[in-house]
Parts: sequence; C-alpha cells; structure tokens
Amino acid sequence: MTEKLMTAPGAAAASPRSAGEVVLRTRNLSKQYGNRLAVDNLNLEVRRGEIFGFLGPNGAGKTTTIRMALGLIAPTSGSVEILGLDVAAQRANVLPRVGALVETPALYLYMSGRDNLSAVGSVLGGVPKARIDVVLELVGLSARQKDRVRTYSLGMKQRLGVAMALLQDPEGLILDEPANGLDPAGIVEMRDLMHRLSAEGKTVFISSHLLPEVQQICTRVAIINLGKLVTESTIEDLTKGQGEFAVTLEHAEMALAAIQEQAWGKGARLDASGALITPAPDGRGRDLNLFLVNEGFAPDTIIQSTQDLEQVFLHLTNGGSGGIL
Amino acid sequence: MSTAVVTPAPAEQMTKLHNATPSFFGTMRGEFFKIRRQWTTWIMLVLFLGVMILPFIIEATAPNVRTNIQTDPLHFFYNVLSIGMSIVRVFSGIFLLILTARVIGLEYQLGTIRVLLSRGVGRLQLLLAKLLTVAVIALALVVVGILLSYLLTVIVVAGVTGNLNAFSALNSTFWSDAGIYVLTILLNAGVTILLAAAAAVLGRSLAFGLSAALIFFPIDNIGTLIMQLAYRVTHNDFWLSLTAYFLGPNLNTMPVPLTSSRVEAIGQAPVYFADKVGTHGIQVDGTHTIVVALVYAAIFAVVAFVLTWKRDVKE
Repeated sequence: MTEKLMTAPGAAAASPRSAGEVVLRTRNLSKQYGNRLAVDNLNLEVRRGEIFGFLGPNGAGKTTTIRMALGLIAPTSGSVEILGLDVAAQRANVLPRVGALVETPALYLYMSGRDNLSAVGSVLGGVPKARIDVVLELVGLSARQKDRVRTYSLGMKQRLGVAMALLQDPEGLILDEPANGLDPAGIVEMRDLMHRLSAEGKTVFISSHLLPEVQQICTRVAIINLGKLVTESTIEDLTKGQGEFAVTLEHAEMALAAIQEQAWGKGARLDASGALITPAPDGRGRDLNLFLVNEGFAPDTIIQSTQDLEQVFLHLTNGGSGGIL
Repeated sequence: MSTAVVTPAPAEQMTKLHNATPSFFGTMRGEFFKIRRQWTTWIMLVLFLGVMILPFIIEATAPNVRTNIQTDPLHFFYNVLSIGMSIVRVFSGIFLLILTARVIGLEYQLGTIRVLLSRGVGRLQLLLAKLLTVAVIALALVVVGILLSYLLTVIVVAGVTGNLNAFSALNSTFWSDAGIYVLTILLNAGVTILLAAAAAVLGRSLAFGLSAALIFFPIDNIGTLIMQLAYRVTHNDFWLSLTAYFLGPNLNTMPVPLTSSRVEAIGQAPVYFADKVGTHGIQVDGTHTIVVALVYAAIFAVVAFVLTWKRDVKE
C-alpha cells in the first residue's frame, strides 16, 4: 500500500490550516422544488481532518445537499462555504480543492480507466502521469488501467470514481455512497483509505446507507430527514446507552422479574439474544452486581449497554421511512 | 486498493496541481482527447472522405468529360466546384451534427457533466470550450474537404487530358465565387453546430440531441414540399411564403444568389427563390438567406447558453 496519498512530501504539513478549521459549512441552506422543500434550512459544519457521515433515508435531501455543495444545483436560499469561501461566488477557486464522487460513478465508458483520469484532469490544465499512477495504484486498478471502463464491474467503476476524486490530491473529499458495489474486502480497503486520508489531514464527507460502516469510519455524523437536520453529533455521543447495562446470566427471566419489582428497574427487559438490559441502582454497575448476587443470580458479565448507529438512525428517522417523529 | 509502492509525482508538479484552477484551454484539450478516443469520430471521418472521392470518380469516368474540359474548362470547373462544395457542405453538416450532439449529449447521458462541473469549471465555460473544439474541427474538416477537392480535380484533369492546361481558364471571378462558397459552408457549419448544441442541451441526452438535430433538416426540407401541398389545397400564398424562412432551404440556396447563380446547389430551395423582383412580398436573395441563417443561429445559441446557465444539473 502506498505510504502516503499526498504525493508532494509534507504537503499536508505545509498547509497552514489547523485542525478544527471548518472546511465545509452550510448556512440556512434550502432547496425548494415546486411545493416540496427538499432541503430545509440546513446548517452543517464539517471540520478539518474529520470523517463526517451524512445520513438520512432515501429522499431525505442528502444528494441535493451534496449537489448544492458542488455547485451543481443552485440553492433556493442560504449558502455553502468550502474552506471559508462561498461556493457560488468562488467555485473556480474552491472546487478544485475538493474531490467528489456523486451517486453512481459517472465515467466515459468508451475510454480506459487511465484515459478517464487524463480527460477529467485536463479540466485543471492536466495531471502528471506519475500522479495518475499513484491514484490508480491506490484504488487497485493499475492492472486494468488500459481496459475500457465498459468492461469494469460496478465495484471497479466505484474505485475509479474514487480515483477521480483523489486525482488532484484535494484537501477535502465529498463521497456519496463510496462503498456502493464494493465486495466485503473492498469495503474494508475503502474504510482503511478513509482513515489514512483523515490521518493526513484531509477532510472526508461521506453519505452512506451502510450504517455499520459509517459507525466504524466516521468521527461525527449528521442525520437529516425530510430535508431537515435531525441531529449532528459524535458517533460516541450518539451511540452511548441511556445509563443501562447488559447482563448475561442464567435464569435471565427470573432475574428480570426480580429487577422489575424494584423502583429503579421498571425499564428492564430482555434483548433478542436473551441478555438482560437494565438500569442500575443509582446508575452504578457495582450496585447492580451486588443486587443480583444477593438475589441469587450470579452474573457472567455486566457491561455498559450501547446502541448501534442503526438503532439510533431508525429511531430518529421513524424507521427510516422518512416520516416525522 | 493496493499495497504496491509507486513513484510519486515531483513535489513542484503536485504544488502546481494543488493550486490549479479550471483552464479553458485545458478543457478544450480534454474535449479533443475525448473526441479522439471515440470510434464514431474516425468512422465518420472515413465516410466523409469516401463520399468526397465518389463524385470525382463518377466525373472522371463520364463519357464526354475530356471534351467538356477542353471545350469549356471554366464550366467544367464550376460544375466540379458546385458538386464538390455541396458534398463538403452536406456531409460536413451531418458530421458536425453527430459530433456536437455526442460531445454535449454524451456528457449529460453518462452523467460526466457533474464530474467536470464539480472540478470548478463554469457551465458556460464548459459549453463554450466544447463549441470551440467542435468549431476548430469543423474548420479543419472544411479545409481538408477543400484541399481534397482541389487535389482530386487536379488528378481528374491530369488523368483525362494528360496535362493541367485547363487550369489556365480559372479567372478571378471563379476564385471569388469559390471563396464565397467556402464562407457559406462555414456559416452552414456554425449554424449546424449551434442547432445540435441546442438540441443536446434541451434534451440533456445523446439520444434526444442526436435525433432532434438529425431530423431537423429533413423536416424543413420536406416541409417545403408540404407547404406547396398546403398551397394547392388552400390557394393561399402564406404557405409558400413560409418556406422563405425555413433554415435548410435557405442554407441550400445561399451560395447561388451570392455568386449570381454561377454555382449550383443541391437540396430544396425556398419556393420564391426564383422570384427576383419579390412580387410575392418576399425576396429570397443572398442577404435574406444570410439573415435567416443568423437568426436561427442566434436562437439556437440563446437556447443552448441560457438552458446551460440556468438549469440545475441533476444528471
């Protein structure tokens, strides 16, 4: 694997920008189609070095937001800033510093993978051949670089789309469903790539439906529904439990009955795997352990209960149906 | 995604890349590159050259060609000019319709327009770069067509008569007429490019752009015949007058009035073209044909540029 994605040694370090700088910001961003408000007063901030997940059910307004960020769609109101510059007013200065993959990769099917990169790179005055070699190697397409893109699998096309996004070594990446069509190994490689990009100070903005992946890759996420921001938070805050504990033990049903008799234990329940999910006396696991032992139930394990991102997402988006909570 | 180590680009090249902004000529270079990579381009070029050669073969093998060249060489050259340039005009037109529709329509159809625009290139800048690229190709095509016509004429004359003496009959009027004919071909090419651009932008697809552009000229040529039928049924001059404003017939006819009918043209002409005194209220002369062509060109350009500028890119 190439050790550095940034082919100019120290280029990231040379950048005077600090971590925490806002790379992408939307201010009261809205888009209306007829009577339908596709994006409603959206305010987002993505900071340098973050891997930011952008989640929402189908039709929530994710792609419309991304297209507005890239100047493909004009906002009805509000604005998008990238690296502190307004996209509408400064697109020629801003957008070359951002790589993007919007929805399914758009490629010249009649050309080879390498020629696709050359053609797209020419818009910015051309890309060095060595840089094309680097990105092709990076996405694992070196061996097929001379084959016509129409012979590529969906996963290979997706990789080429990512290569296009990385072509000019951008400071930020906007990727819409980057893992589409990738096999499990490809998804893992994509995850590694995102982490390496982030480690080099690049900012990655990902829209994805693969929630377990988002949970593993992203540092922060925003969830939108019906065009509105539902929440914007770190993964850690979003998935931490409500002070509950997961207990595995024998005779879980009997232990559940004993706990539910307590004032603090009314919310206790069994999960699908048979583990006991329960609050603890005064929120302390030690006291929960003591209570269970005194009642004659020796726990095998007691761990702090967490929610996965999928549960949080489904809860916040009303089952992912796009309905209002 | 790979584990191999590749040689990185030099630091200065990367710095240049980081600071790069969209380049108009870079965009044009990209367009040339994409056009070169399409088989359709080369197939059309071969067909164009093939079609160019065909009438000269017919001319060279005609029964009275030697007598014609020796007795009235100027008439022979005007004949060759009319046929050769008509073929350049019609087939370069078809070539450019297809090429322009592909260059613009394919970008929408494949969705690659969003890739280019998200690099920061402006919409109008991209459209202009595409049009200018096609215009350069059009110019090259016309130049190749003219040179090939000239070369084939030399070959025919030399082959049939055994010498090039007939060329001494060419006078300044002939060269002036030839120049005017070439200018009408260039105007024809410009309008054709803008027509295909408008159709491709309007339909945002290759299929629509290509179909609309290719069907336009047959329709307005056939339209002249339909207008004549309408006149026969209604006996109203209005229908015949309309043909004076059809684009195809005006382009077909343009070189004829501009050269005082010394050259001939192929294709439908407006019905009142022969009415030199304008007794029906419309005088289809050289100026009229140029004005009609320019008005159409302006309409096509406005449609292409305004739609490109104003519409969201959802491809």
